[in-house]
Parts: sequence; C-alpha cells; structure tokens
Amino acid sequence: MLKKKAVTAALSLALMGGLVLGGCSSSSSKSEDTSKSSGDKTVVKMMHLWPEGSAKAQYTIVDDIIKTYEKEHPDIDIQTEILGNEQYKEKIKVLSASNELPDIGITWAAGYMKPFVEGNMFAPLDDIVQEDKFVAGTLDAFSVDQKPYAIPLELNIAPVYYNKEIFKKYDLEVPKTYDEFLKVVKTLSDNDVTPITVGNKDRWTGSMWYMYLADRIGGPETLNNAINRTGSFEDPALVKAAEEITKLVDMDAFVKGFNGLSNDEAKGYFMNEQAAMYIMGTWELPNYTTSPDVDQKFKDKVGYFKFPAYEGGKGNIDSFVGGPGVALFASEQSKVKDEAKQFISYLVDEWGKRSVVEAGVIPATTVDTSGSDLAQMYIDILNDLGNATNITLYADVQMSAGVADVHLNQIQALFGGQSTPKEFTKAQEEALASEK
Amino acid sequence: MKNVMSNKFVITLYTLPALLLILVLIYIPITLSGYYGLMDWDGIGEMKFIGLENYVTLVQDKVFWTSTWHSFQLAIFSAVSLLLYLGISLVLASKIKGSDLLRKIYLIPMLLSSVAIAQLWMKIFDPNNGMANRLLEIFGVENTPLWLADPEIALYSIFIPVIWQYAGFYILIYYAALKNVPDEVIEAAKIDGANALQIAFRIKLPLISGIFKVTIMLAVVGSLKYFDLIYVMTGGGPNGASEVMASYMYKEAFKLNNFGYGSALGFGLLVICLVMTWLTSKLTKSNDDVQF
Amino acid sequence: MSKVSTQPVTTNLSVPKTTKKSYLNKIGFGFLYLILGAFAIIQIYPLIWLVFFSLKTNQEVFGMSPFSLPQDPNWENYTRAWTSGNIGLYFFNSVWITILSVVLTTILASLVTFAVTRMHWKLSGLVLGLFLVAYMIPLHSTIIPLFNMYNNVNLIDSPVSIVLSYTTFNLPLTIMILLGFYRTFPREIEEAAVMDGCSVHRIFFQITLPMTVPVLSTTAIINMIYNWNEFVFVNTFISSDKWKTLTVGINNFVGQYLTDWGAIGATLVISIIPILLTFLFLSNKIVEGMAAGSVKG
Repeated sequence: MLKKKAVTAALSLALMGGLVLGGCSSSSSKSEDTSKSSGDKTVVKMMHLWPEGSAKAQYTIVDDIIKTYEKEHPDIDIQTEILGNEQYKEKIKVLSASNELPDIGITWAAGYMKPFVEGNMFAPLDDIVQEDKFVAGTLDAFSVDQKPYAIPLELNIAPVYYNKEIFKKYDLEVPKTYDEFLKVVKTLSDNDVTPITVGNKDRWTGSMWYMYLADRIGGPETLNNAINRTGSFEDPALVKAAEEITKLVDMDAFVKGFNGLSNDEAKGYFMNEQAAMYIMGTWELPNYTTSPDVDQKFKDKVGYFKFPAYEGGKGNIDSFVGGPGVALFASEQSKVKDEAKQFISYLVDEWGKRSVVEAGVIPATTVDTSGSDLAQMYIDILNDLGNATNITLYADVQMSAGVADVHLNQIQALFGGQSTPKEFTKAQEEALASEK
Repeated sequence: MKNVMSNKFVITLYTLPALLLILVLIYIPITLSGYYGLMDWDGIGEMKFIGLENYVTLVQDKVFWTSTWHSFQLAIFSAVSLLLYLGISLVLASKIKGSDLLRKIYLIPMLLSSVAIAQLWMKIFDPNNGMANRLLEIFGVENTPLWLADPEIALYSIFIPVIWQYAGFYILIYYAALKNVPDEVIEAAKIDGANALQIAFRIKLPLISGIFKVTIMLAVVGSLKYFDLIYVMTGGGPNGASEVMASYMYKEAFKLNNFGYGSALGFGLLVICLVMTWLTSKLTKSNDDVQF
Repeated sequence: MSKVSTQPVTTNLSVPKTTKKSYLNKIGFGFLYLILGAFAIIQIYPLIWLVFFSLKTNQEVFGMSPFSLPQDPNWENYTRAWTSGNIGLYFFNSVWITILSVVLTTILASLVTFAVTRMHWKLSGLVLGLFLVAYMIPLHSTIIPLFNMYNNVNLIDSPVSIVLSYTTFNLPLTIMILLGFYRTFPREIEEAAVMDGCSVHRIFFQITLPMTVPVLSTTAIINMIYNWNEFVFVNTFISSDKWKTLTVGINNFVGQYLTDWGAIGATLVISIIPILLTFLFLSNKIVEGMAAGSVKG
C-alpha cells in the first residue's frame, strides 16, 4: 500500500515538473513537428464542421475530394479534425487566441471574418480565386479592401415555405402582396391555425422577418446603408418595418412562445404541420425534397413563395435575404500556406460540381443544372436565384459581433413587445454609431 | 504523540502533489486570465494594454450587475432547496421500507448529462405541446405561461431544472452523512425515550451540521458560477432576461470578441464568489462549530 | 484489517404503541409515501423519456407531445449512433479516462484532507483556503491559458492533458466534501494508534481510508459523473479521433443545419448504461461501508 501511494505521488510530481519546466523552456520547438512533414509527406491540417453523423453527404464529398487529391499529390497528407457547429466556433476562438489555427479552416462572412483578417490570421486568397466562376456578389462578403480572404462554399436564400394542404383547406392563395399576406395570416389565426413558426430564441430567425420587411419597404439599400454608416437605422422605412413586425405579433401571426423556441423546435411545428408558414434558408430544401428521413406525403405538401411585395414600398419581390454561408480560409501563419491554398482551390472546384446533386447544398460557384437530375424545388430556387435582383446579406452577419448582439437582442425585444419600434431602431442606431 | 502527526516530510508528501496540480493548472491560468483582463484583446489579433479600463467598465456595466443579481437569486434558491433535500434524506436514512430503492431512483437525474436535461426541459416548457402547459390545461388554466419565452418568468422557469438537476447530488451527500451517524448514539437516545422527530432534530442534524455548511458553500458558489443549462436552454434570453454571470462572461469572451473584457468578468465573478463565501461562512457560523 | 460485520440495528419508526397512534401513523405514512412516490416518478421520468426519445425520428422529436410514445420504434438510431463515428473507441476512452481521474482525485484529495484535518501544522489553513478558492474559479476563464500551457509542453491532443485537468478541477470539490465528513469522524482510534507507535502512513492507509469508504464512494460517484459528462476540456484539448470521448461523440450528430436528435438520444442512452451500473454498485458501498465503519466508532 505504501508503495502504491509513493508511486502516485512520484508520478504526479514528475508530471507537474514536466509541465512547469516545459512551460518555461521548450516553447520554441513545438510547432515544427506538429505542422511540418510527417515522414516525407507534407501535412496539411484542416478543420471542418461536417461530422459524419449529422452531415453525411458533405462529409463524404470532402472525404472523397481529400482522397482523390492525396492520390494525385502523393507528397501531401491532409489531416482533418471535424467538430459540430457550436464546438467548431468555440475551438476556433481558443486556437486563434493561441495562434494555432489549422492550415485550412471554415469561416463565416463579413462581421465574423473581419477580426481575423485585421489580426492577420487569414491569408489573402486573391491569387487562387477565379472570380468569374462565382455567383456575383458572393465573394464580396469575404473580401476586405477588395481582397478575398476566404472562398465561399455555399449560397443560400430564404424563401417562405408553406404547407399547401393547410392553404387549400382554408381556400388560401399564395400571397403576391403584403396585404394578401396579412389576409392569409388573419384567416389562419381566426381558424386557430398557427400561421407562422419562428424559433426566435436563436434570434437570427426573427431577424430574417424583419430584414424582409425592411427590404420590401425601404428597398435593399436602406438597411445596408444603416449598417455601413452611410445611412441611419432610424430611417422611417426601418421604423415602419419594425411597426409591421409588432402588428404581426398582435395578430398572433407567430407561434406561441416563439421567443423561447430554438429554430429546431420551431421547425418541428412546420414539419408536423402545426404551422402553415416558415422562413428559412435553402439549406432546408433536402427536408422537402431528397431527405430519406422525411415522409414523402409531407414533402409533397410543401411549397415555397417569395416574400410578398409591399404596396408603396421601394423593394421588389425578386430581392432576397440570404448570402453565402461558410467559406474556406488558409491560415496566414501556416508553414504550408501554398499547399493549403492549392488544396482550397481544388476543393472549391470539386465541391461546386458535386454539392447540389449529392448534398443538396447550393454552392457559391455557378451551377450547371442541365445534365443533372435535380428535384423540381431545387430547379425553381436556382432559377429564382439566377433572376434575383438583389441578395441582402443577413444583418447579423454584416455587423460586427458586438453590434450584431444588440441587433439580435433587439429583435427578441421587438417581437416580445419589450421594445417599441422607435426604441428598437434607436438602440441599434446607438450601437452602430458608437462602434467607430 | 505530537511528533508523528506533525512530521513535516509526511505533510509535504501528502499535500504537495495536489497543491502543485491546482497551483499550476488553476492558479497560473486564472492569473494569466486576470492579466488578459488588463488588455484590449479580441482573442484574435494583437493585445493592447489598457490598464484597469476593463475593470472600470465592469463596475459601470448594467448588464453585469443584472446578471449578478440573477446569479444571486439562483444561489438563494439553491441554498433554500437544500432544506428540502435534507428533509428527504432524513426520511430515507430512517430505514423506512423501500428507502433503498427510492434513494437510488432519486439520484438518477444527476447521472444525465446537461444535453439530455436541457432537451427534456425544453420539451416540458414548450408553450404549445409541452408537458407543463398540458398539465395546466387539464386543471383549466387558460392563459398558460410562455415559460422560457416570457422575460418576466424565464429566469425562474430555468431555475427549476437547474435546482432539480442537483437534487441527487445533495441527497447523496446528506444520505452518506446521516448514515455516518453511529447507531449507538441513536439507540442511546431511544432508550432515553426520544421520538423520531427528536432524534432527527436533536441528534442527527447537529451531528451533520458541518456537512450541511459545506453543502451551503457548494450550492452558493456552484450557483454563482453556474452556466450549462442556462446557456443551452435560453442563451441568457429573451433579451438578457435570464443572463447570469458565467453566461455573460462566456458570451463576451467567446462570442462577442471581447476576450479582454470577458477575462475581467471572470475575475469579477471570482471576487463576488469570494465575498459571498465569506458572508455565508459568517452567517452559518455558530458556537458549536467544530473548529480546527 | 479484520472486518467486523454487524447486523444493522433495525429501528422501525412505526412501532405501534396504541391503536389510536397507529391509525394516525398509518395516515401519516400513507401521506409520506405519496410524496416520496411522486418525487420518485419525477426523478425516474427523465430516464424513461430518454429511452423513448432515442427511438423517435427527428420529426417526432419536435412538435409532438413529450408524453408521446415513439410511433414506430426507430432502432436505426442505435445502429446509426454506433456505426457513424467511432462510438466504440470514444466509449473505451471515456471509461479509462474517467476511472483513472476518479482514482487520482480521490487519493490525492484524501491525502490532503487527512493532512489538513488530522495533522498539526501552521499552514494548514492557508492550504485549505487555496483549495477553497480554486473551487470558485470559473472554468472558462482558465481554458485559453490552459490550452497555451499544454501546447507548450506538447500535451495538446494527448489524454494526459484530459486526465490532469479532470483530476485537478475536481480536487477542490472532493476535498470540501471529504472535509465535511472527516470533521465528524471520531479521532480516538487514530489517537490510540499514534500511542501504539503506528506510522502516519499506516494510520492513513489502514485506519482512516477504510473508515472513509462510504464518503469515498460518495465522492467517487460525484467525480465519476462529472468526468463522464465533461465536455469543454475534451473538445478544446483533443483534436484527433483516437482520444475523443463519448460526450464529444454526441456532437457528431449536431450539424451545421441539421441535428440528428434520434442518434443523439441513442448515444445518450448508450452512455448512461455503464455509469448507471457503476452508480448502483457504488451506492451500495455507502451503506455497507457505514455498517462496517460504525462498529469501530
């Protein structure tokens, strides 16, 4: 017994010693062996957020691309680390604070990416981008001073999905104008059907509704200008949009308890036909078309329409809220930057060819749909995307993290009735103004 | 006799390993974190030394004080809930029929990870399909509450699962403590004609008062730095209505790119914990306290 | 050490003395059991719910009442949970990392508590204070500095960093619980042992440790549960699959846009089984140990 304890004590002392001493001495030698060659191969480390369990299609595509690439480049060894969405974000924070970003990783647009670019963490990718391959505007969200620092993999817009059967039951037509839309809402709520489900605990979900109203009433520029400080958030159109939200809330347009529901929970109401309408990005399309987990009967009931036009408003019906989702970056500190960039360029190309068909993800590169066997809803959406007059990037993505938090909190407060439309716009104007 | 029990070598051998571990893995990091608190740092780019500015901001930060108040309330609720758990443990430890089975059942929730508990309670609190409102509807309540969506009650709604989650933890400790009371003492009291209640209040409770004080401390400090369920279930919302100190700190440091300020908040949390612990120990101090 | 087993003294509270009292007693007990039973249902329900949850499809999980049974038990959730990702490996890692950390924590904490409560030295209060304050430090404040430190000594992506973190961060709590108990344990035996000329090591290992088995079981249960469900450290310090644990495995099913709740439920059920069994085993130890310990008191 005595021995056992002595061993434990000695062991822990030894461990501690190593930790303390190591902390002082060997900080220079560490990263060489971790990120440079293993054997005679060059190791490129990549982190992404498509685990096999929840994003099998994306996982498989990336995995395939890596295998093919390694076959073509026998001297390269690409090692992946895969995390869930939230965990990915948290880990990236720790890694960047410790200056240990992976050679290749995933980033989000604008407000999320900017600090990394300013902190000199991301490498400019202007040398590998072929601009003509991308849908117009998608690269802008990842550019600082005209230089792209990440290459987008996805492009999403947010249509209004609706349940055709519920609409038919109450004799409702797809609304073309906002007044018609209000009538639809009224009919449904008079009949005790939840018109709209929105998981506003996540906040960006409610933000989409507000953004659409702002766009339809004030035109696409008003909100963008307010955010980039060429305009004001107290613009009458932006106040008016907030008033319309309040009106919808008063009409019981949104599912009961929306501020406490996550997007996943709110989606459940739509998927279980307890709510008639739902705004969400086109990443939801697989649930309504190809996903084997969803009942075909339900899929047949789902349609979508464009957010209706507002009479007297400056926006038009072909303008969308949406934008590029995730993108790939190469770390500026990487010892294998060139190899990383080459692989990114390869991956983006291959991804563009396969993502829609295999994973139902619309890539940011232009898609040739002619030869492929796509579900009708995808073809329609791709057409709408082609004819879109404008895509307004999600407000919380445009803003810096701090301002976005104010915006999102205010969205909750506006929907929940704790902020009046005036207070809502004022709080955001103040946050935006105090930023610089 | 004193010599053996004050052998310096043995004392060092027994305490040093654990002491070194906490010094290196807890105290050095928190010191570094306090140092980050002096920086303007987004956790990404260069750090900029700004002295005590973050701490000045903290003192004036309304959100911080609101979330501190929320954490305080949780601490109070948790401390009060201990009485309930103590009562249950007294019953369980008094050898009534089925106590063994009941005790095991009572501890089950504590085995579940926060992921599971959060999912369960989000389902319970769902305003339309949720169990809580279904039950209320059965009893004829018409305007069923919105629970997590209502800023007035969101904080208290979330206290329920948080406090419930720890039922097993405290029952486990109290039960072990009560079982630790020697049977001879109880027997002696019985012979003197004491009834069950007298035994509980005059004999058992005083004997476990030391452990009870420890659990008060654990409950208070644990509540002040509590984070898990609140972050998952409400994210501190709606609009900050259920923000607590730790969730606010996490948000600032990891979500809003204010790593310097987040570190300062972490330090503030520590200071508040210290003050509260000191207060708690003053409040629970009594003459019959076993001193060392 | 010779084990003296005694029959636990049966002390039935409801010894009827008069008929009137017994009648009242019955009502009282009926009421008591009603409350205890209701509480038991509340406490066991989550487990049942979790099993149902693990058999539902994503569509059923949301929208339907949580009371509802899965319409068509979806056993595929379990197949999916077991086959995508390396749940088997994660499981194995969870087991050995948890056991090792629990053993280290309880031994180190016992040593400290013994030294602080039983031995005489000037700085004992200060040392105890250090552990107390360590309990108050919020975990997220330490995570980035810790990452840097481990990184400097090449312990990132090594299970050593996880075991060290688990052991260390559970020490303060464990010491405090032990402390509460050590203070109530009689010192007479130890004092007698000192008189007999026993060494400190002998006293600790042969008298104090066996006497504290019930408390050690209690702290072992608590430590085990914490380590088993821990998430932040593993997620931050471990990057390769071969050292990940079950809690991280669960995140395999949380996607960018889609979360596979059924598979998460299945993984949760899989992960709760070993901990439930260990718990039931250790929980008996609390009572057995007491019976054995109280004889010496």
